[in-house]
Amino acid sequence: MTAYLANLATLVAIFGILAATLNFVVGFAGIFSVAHAVFFGLGAYAGAQVALQLFPDALLACLVAAIVAGGLSLCLALPALRVRGEYFVAASLGLQMMATTLFSEAKAFTGGIGGLVAIPRPTVAGVEVGVLPLALAALALILFLTARLQRGAFGRTLQSIRDAESAAEALGKNVAAAKTLAVAFACAGAGIGGALFALHLSFVNVESFTMDQSVLVMAMVIIGGTGTLWGPLIGAILLLSLPSGLAFLPFIPATEVGAVQQIVYGLAMTLLMIFRPAGLVGDLSKGRATA
Amino acid sequence: MSEILLKSENLARAFGGLQAVAGVSLSLPAGRVTALVGPNGAGKTTTFNLITGNLRADSGTAQIRGRPIMGLKPWQVARLGVARSFQDLRLFTHVTVRENVLAATETASWFWQPGGSRARRQREDRAAAALEATGLAALADARAIDLAYAERKFLSMARILAAEADIWLLDEPASGLDLASRLRFGELLRAATARGVAICLIEHNLDVVAELSDRIAFLDQGRVLAEGEPQAILRDPALAAIYFGDRPQEAA
Amino acid sequence: MLFLQLLLQGIQTGALYALTAAGFALIFGATRIFHFAHGISFTLAGYAFLFAWNAGWPWWAGSLAGVLAATLFGLAMERVVYRPIQRHEGSFFTVFVAAFGVAVVVQNLVGMLAGRGFASVDTPLSRATEVMPEIFLAPIFWIAIGVAVVLFVALSAFLTRTHAGVALRALAQNPDLLRAYGLSSNRLSMLAFALGSAMAAPAAVLTAMTTGLNEAIGHHVMLISMAATIVGGVGSLRGAALAGLMLGVAESVALQFVDTQWAEAVSFLVLFAFIIFRPSGFFGVVQTR
Repeated sequence: MTAYLANLATLVAIFGILAATLNFVVGFAGIFSVAHAVFFGLGAYAGAQVALQLFPDALLACLVAAIVAGGLSLCLALPALRVRGEYFVAASLGLQMMATTLFSEAKAFTGGIGGLVAIPRPTVAGVEVGVLPLALAALALILFLTARLQRGAFGRTLQSIRDAESAAEALGKNVAAAKTLAVAFACAGAGIGGALFALHLSFVNVESFTMDQSVLVMAMVIIGGTGTLWGPLIGAILLLSLPSGLAFLPFIPATEVGAVQQIVYGLAMTLLMIFRPAGLVGDLSKGRATA
Repeated sequence: MSEILLKSENLARAFGGLQAVAGVSLSLPAGRVTALVGPNGAGKTTTFNLITGNLRADSGTAQIRGRPIMGLKPWQVARLGVARSFQDLRLFTHVTVRENVLAATETASWFWQPGGSRARRQREDRAAAALEATGLAALADARAIDLAYAERKFLSMARILAAEADIWLLDEPASGLDLASRLRFGELLRAATARGVAICLIEHNLDVVAELSDRIAFLDQGRVLAEGEPQAILRDPALAAIYFGDRPQEAA
Repeated sequence: MLFLQLLLQGIQTGALYALTAAGFALIFGATRIFHFAHGISFTLAGYAFLFAWNAGWPWWAGSLAGVLAATLFGLAMERVVYRPIQRHEGSFFTVFVAAFGVAVVVQNLVGMLAGRGFASVDTPLSRATEVMPEIFLAPIFWIAIGVAVVLFVALSAFLTRTHAGVALRALAQNPDLLRAYGLSSNRLSMLAFALGSAMAAPAAVLTAMTTGLNEAIGHHVMLISMAATIVGGVGSLRGAALAGLMLGVAESVALQFVDTQWAEAVSFLVLFAFIIFRPSGFFGVVQTR
């Protein structure tokens, strides 16, 4: 039971990082990316390769993962600078589909469909450590950073671009730079989450980085409430506890738990959008949902 | 004669077959209010867009204190000291009034602003002063979207005040304001010109133009037809005929 | 010769893409709703046909069931999901998430009820014969092209000749104008959803008879429709149809150079290139919002 809880807590921390960083671009910059799992994946592969090829230092793995994912985030920033709204969602979906193919085919880097196996246990300064404390520390750091950025001038810049891009530009804001930075920050964070994920499971393959995963993270953000600080974390806790909750229901066959889980969160997304678009934590009087 | 802060020469821009702006030359002197007047579609807002870099000019030039600005991006023009308002205001709707104005003081697009906490306090003071001057101090924590019409217009002005630009391009800033608000608005402009700000405003209400402007440039079909003292322009019967649409072939 | 074979296959796939994409573009043009669950109409139509076929129904009855399933789903989405959201502001993102949620639910329900993995029906029509040296074509090739041509002719006749069709096009161009004339945009929006969703059904039935369906095919269809609509230029049915055809051909012809698993990536490469270099598409007007 403790092992089970430790595993769940580690996953909550990792997905909390993903949800918090996605929330940053969705809720504050208005960049609706459905490709967050791509950068999660890039970080996971990069971190795993560091551990496999060099040495399993967790900090080094996270650093390299952040650089790889943050650097390649230009692939997402580019369309974000060109188009908005539906067009951008379409572009990010396209990116997600291409990346999934790439992850399955670029065998030298990703190990193909089979993935990367036998990733060694992580160490910090040569001492073996558990992933849970690392993940919790990373989550705390990311939450602290996003909170600082969201409440400070940078968050204000992003919000002003989201609400009226041309007016923000007319006040001297370099919209392209701000958007690119926001995307790079969020994707670097997702990369760190990915490295921790790889070290935690000691195995990664493309199935963790598909569109379904991107949608799951998106669901965490939405169900928790976009633009809030704690919403995404609560969304992550809810959606990750869901499968184990469902496993206790005797009438659901074990093979269908995954499907039932997806049905539950799909339904939750739709119903929330119809009845409570600001999410569970979002304040309706302040959220995007007011008329 | 005071210093010319912004000068455009022969700005032109066509959309498809329509010559929206056909060679507009404007000079905005420091400490003066220049009104752009003319019938709908005369090219007034397009002229603003050409100056601010929101639209690319087909030909012509513009300078700020002698520095050419053609080809610059809107944010680069803004950083040379140009602030503009929009006809449809374009407020940052989902953040507070204070944040709208603070955003105008923060131009660095990096993760943080330069200058540390001292510069931050200065920006906060600037924002507070702009809210005070526009009478919005009591509403600082309201969201922009919840403001009444006149308050929104003043918030748009507060952003410009806080930006500390010395060239203001205002697109119908006083339209729809009641008399009391218009008087307050006039005070804002006079305080700014007293500091040496060059103001260009687009305005349809000729009473407001007469009341606020020092000079008028009369635009029609993308050209400056006449330029001069308000009284001289406003009394010209030929211009009045154009303004009030008495051209038979133009009856739409 | 391989090239010609791939080209012909691409045209067959492309004809089906064109039909689905035109349906999506019709809905988006008339209602400004980015119907992210459009692929589900396709899925439901395909599986309705499969069930009917396996129950021994004749092909036309099965096809009718498919059309009915697609249309009813589109109408249900319009009434139950999109309209309530639009009533309370509802940004495009709210619409996207709600539609995506429905897509996730239906995909999993179909997987649970109909089984996962590919399912297809085997008919004599889908058996290829050598029509030229080294060129194999099944009768379904001609059927696919014939169905596409007939439906496009019928659709454009409807849009140009009938009162409702003209109103639909007007709605795409200027919704305010239409309201001023007192036409009910509610009824027109339902018409757009019914027609647009029904357009997905023939493609679904033909796909069931050729490459087969799986429960996740809706995603693929939705993405292709979206890509074709953007590449073709939003607001242009002709553009969406042509772009759909082109994407089908591009995916197929690319197989001469790359393995099959890259086929879908080719479509997204095209989409990505368009979004970055020509966001207005082939026939669209630039719209920056």
